[in-house]
Amino acid sequence: MITFEGVTKRYPDGTVALDDVSLECPTGRITVFVGTSGGGKTTALRTINRMVEPTAGRVLIDGGDVRERKPAELRRGIGYVIQHAGLFPHRTIEDNIATVPYLLRWNKKKARAAAHELMERVGLDPSMARRYPFQLSGGQQQRVGVARALAADPPIMLMDEPFSAVDPVVRAELQDEFLRLQAELHKTIVFVTHDIDEAIKLGDRVAVFQTGGKLVQVDAPEDLLAHPADDFVAGFIGQNRGIRTLGFAETGGLRLSGDAVFAASADAADAAGLDWVLVVDADRRPLGWARPADETGPLAEARLAPVGATFRAGADSVRVALDAAVLSPAGLAVGVDEAGAVVGTAGGADLLAVPTHGPAHHRADRAADRPAGAPEPADAPAKGGAGD
Amino acid sequence: MNDVWNQIRLSWTWLTASAQWHGDDGIPHRLLQHVIYSGVSLACAAVIGLALGLLVGHTGRGGFVVVSLANLARAIPTFGLVVYVVLVHYSITAALIALVALAVPPILVNTYEGLRGVDADAKDAASGMGMTGWGVLWRAEVPMALPLILLGLRTSAIQVVATATIVAYPGFGGLGRYIIDGLARNDYQLVVGGTVLVVLLALIVQIVFAALRRLVVSPGLLGTARSS
Repeated sequence: MITFEGVTKRYPDGTVALDDVSLECPTGRITVFVGTSGGGKTTALRTINRMVEPTAGRVLIDGGDVRERKPAELRRGIGYVIQHAGLFPHRTIEDNIATVPYLLRWNKKKARAAAHELMERVGLDPSMARRYPFQLSGGQQQRVGVARALAADPPIMLMDEPFSAVDPVVRAELQDEFLRLQAELHKTIVFVTHDIDEAIKLGDRVAVFQTGGKLVQVDAPEDLLAHPADDFVAGFIGQNRGIRTLGFAETGGLRLSGDAVFAASADAADAAGLDWVLVVDADRRPLGWARPADETGPLAEARLAPVGATFRAGADSVRVALDAAVLSPAGLAVGVDEAGAVVGTAGGADLLAVPTHGPAHHRADRAADRPAGAPEPADAPAKGGAGD
Repeated sequence: MNDVWNQIRLSWTWLTASAQWHGDDGIPHRLLQHVIYSGVSLACAAVIGLALGLLVGHTGRGGFVVVSLANLARAIPTFGLVVYVVLVHYSITAALIALVALAVPPILVNTYEGLRGVDADAKDAASGMGMTGWGVLWRAEVPMALPLILLGLRTSAIQVVATATIVAYPGFGGLGRYIIDGLARNDYQLVVGGTVLVVLLALIVQIVFAALRRLVVSPGLLGTARSS
């Protein structure tokens, strides 16, 4: 657990980078600091490993003041990833990754073995071990940066806009792998970004910073979307707040209907009276949409409109399902199981009837929104499917 | 054209005459003197230039002042300065001090610029991962600045080798002896021969530094790493 207690950073010229910030970053969770530039989020992150010394207040790691430890020694126990990776151009990939093990005086063999193992962990081909950073793409360099931070297996990781400098496709990939990695490693992570979508996607808790170094709200992402503390947060979250809230609603409890699903062997006449029907093959895989009114004979010979998008029932969020409904010519979302077989369809109204979980906030009681006292996010992870 | 050929033939005859390869006035002895004077001057200049350049480049303080002074020193007509010092003081120490003064600025300025050019993200990562100030300097800044540091050393080395000829004025030998004697006696064979030797030595210095660069600078900085 990382604890900020009234941390203020004021520079000699009078600029306030952090203004009395109190907050907790729970152990084993991802806490995202998000905000406008000049909001102090990077400064806040850098007070944790003493790259910035606060003017007032203190930062505690598991109850111990960071100032009681020598900066270099403290930092060797905290993973550090920055934008543009900051790799050492003169070192090979394996030696970049082994930086902290070398500082900790591991022997070379052990340090390199750890480096190779981490390369695989972060999705890098170990044959790249002897290459130099200039021979890698931006995305690969960023993976090396993450591997380097993980090399000595620190319990805490500080990540300062690690995925900001790569293109959106690579960024999404890196984010997904980062979440997969965190599910295995359970590090205590502080992650800085200016991208609210990234914050919502990655954060177990999201801390919103406002210009002038003020912390305005700390909450689970779904609560942040549902109940922004003020106009600044609402404005920062931006458009489509409601739709994005649906990203946290599960499709597990959704009732899917089989009424509009027909096998290809069925006759168009069987579906008479329906506007659109979904035609599926013998394995119940979707083939396309047909209009029974325009067809005669078996549906296998019908003219089919493309299925469009589907959603994995129980695994995907209501937002994905709603997206699939909008893209379908019938206005129905097609739910499939892991094998890709159709479970059933749901209309827009069915989807919107799913309750968004997340604890209700007492808007009148603003004191409850105070960052340090904010409730922990719900502990039970979402389990897809009905189980066996 | 004929003239040039003539000069080359003359210097070749001179260089290959067996008389030139023996005794105190022989080429090996003069060459050794020249190399020693140049080496000592360069070593002293390297200690001063590197120490100051690393200090200023690492701390980032006083850079403007130091570089301005170094560039000002470069603007002084160096040959004039060296001749003045040598002729007025007429001692080997004075001559060597003049050579050192000549060699410090390129080393200092290149070292400073080399360190200043080190990627700020890499430096931030280095200290953020737990390197101490010295650690950042030796494990990150110096290796990354090495191409420029070597360039400074090479520039100075070549200048020193060429200028060390003036040590012969106060009578301390070196390859300059041939040039001065040749000028005094109107013996152009001697002048050209001595000059050719200095040029050859400068070329060797160039080759040595090229080899050194390949040896000590990381392929990751030169972009010469094999992709496999």
